[in-house]
Amino acid sequence: MEVETLQSDIALKGRPFVGSGPLSKAMSREQLIGRLARLAGSNHLPAGMAALTEYVGASHYLLARYDLVQEQGLEFVVSSNWPFDLVRRLSVDLASLYSRSTELEKCLSILQPSFALLPDDVELPAGVSQQYCSLTFNVGRTRLSLMLLFADGIILSQDRLRDVGLFAGYYSSFARARDQKAERDFDLTERELECLFWIAEGKTSDEIAMILGISRNTINNYITSVMRKTATKTRSEAIAYAVRNNLV
Amino acid sequence: MAYSQDKNGESPGEIRTFRMTRITSRSDLFPRLVSMQKIINARHFAVFRISGGGLPSKRKLVCELENWGPSNITASQMFVEAYGDALIDHMEKSLLPLMWNGRDEASIAETSDLDMFTVRLKGRLLPFSGVAFPVRLGAVGNGYTMFTSNYIDLASDALVDLHGKSCHIMMDLLSLDERRAVPAETLSEREVACLQLAGDGRISDEIADKLGLSVHTVNAYLGSATIKLDSVNRIQAIAKAIRLGYIS
Repeated sequence: MEVETLQSDIALKGRPFVGSGPLSKAMSREQLIGRLARLAGSNHLPAGMAALTEYVGASHYLLARYDLVQEQGLEFVVSSNWPFDLVRRLSVDLASLYSRSTELEKCLSILQPSFALLPDDVELPAGVSQQYCSLTFNVGRTRLSLMLLFADGIILSQDRLRDVGLFAGYYSSFARARDQKAERDFDLTERELECLFWIAEGKTSDEIAMILGISRNTINNYITSVMRKTATKTRSEAIAYAVRNNLV
Repeated sequence: MAYSQDKNGESPGEIRTFRMTRITSRSDLFPRLVSMQKIINARHFAVFRISGGGLPSKRKLVCELENWGPSNITASQMFVEAYGDALIDHMEKSLLPLMWNGRDEASIAETSDLDMFTVRLKGRLLPFSGVAFPVRLGAVGNGYTMFTSNYIDLASDALVDLHGKSCHIMMDLLSLDERRAVPAETLSEREVACLQLAGDGRISDEIADKLGLSVHTVNAYLGSATIKLDSVNRIQAIAKAIRLGYIS
């Protein structure tokens, strides 16, 4: 079952979810800001995500490193209270979804809430809608996605979703400022990055040697070392990898 | 994480209406920026983008739009000199809005309840105070929208409103660029397929095998794609194709 083909805009239709139901009692933006500000010092990502989830009227959150989702394993999950089996089941679909949209499409969908359906064969917590909402944003080079589950029949407010996207980004910025190490810089040296940059501009090894004032063999060594570090087989693939990961 | 093509649902908020009106030129952005400027009673706005990806040393801030006017011809240059490096550095790690105080004692930018969610730049460098909203879209199109005045008081409503709209401004700027950058002839399906496989690390032989073509045909496709993308070799063509969204 393809997640993508099931996208719909059900959640955008119908009555706007303002001033009725549970949200009328829900926290105000000021309360959210106060709560996040208090949590910000504590280095507690889940508590912040829980506050955002409550603010928007959703039930479960999954904060994912969208840029790591292609890889094997569940390392892409930053913080989540989704049922584990659901996360594991969905990771396959997310990877294929990620690779099917282009970088430009990703750039043009920042903070745009989008809705998709979960696969039919998953077991959901009672009362939770088959539909989920996702919001992507970038903190530095890290592309994150916040995915929300919500109760059946609830319409999430667009304004609140926008707030949640922004504040999730702000909150992640705190976490990042404290934890610089979490950023995987692929361990490439400044020189190697410099070579990659010029190759992506279409320069040959000889030309780069001229530009940088070092020998052609040294350049080729740098490139070999880049290919080893990034586990790529050809120069083309190494460049593609570098462009995809915003290294050049 | 789904990228939603669907933009024509009923729109419960401003967010959607913005995306639905396709803009055709940069001048369409001016009235929107002016209305944003009015929200916080600022005197002027400016939109800066970061150009020259890749190496930190090659990045610089470029002013794309502003209404500083002829009487402030040096404002943009002054700004880049004072804060350019700080802004480029900030973009690499955080999504938090930046604020700074002006040279004059009374020229301040303040916020009552959002100190946690804003970052202060060193003050007293410029004749005006201001606030800048970072927008990180991904591989391309990253930058800031900023609003300057003698006095700025940023409330939480204005913060989320302006930052959300800033994202739309940057996305619209990017989509305008992309429409202009479309190659003279669009790439054929075969050319895209060959580029994609080459970017995935396949050599011409393997691509030929996979697509059921001869090696010479594959090389011809890659060659014509290189010309259409205005590149000097296939590696540069792959880098451009990813940035322009032809391949992923």
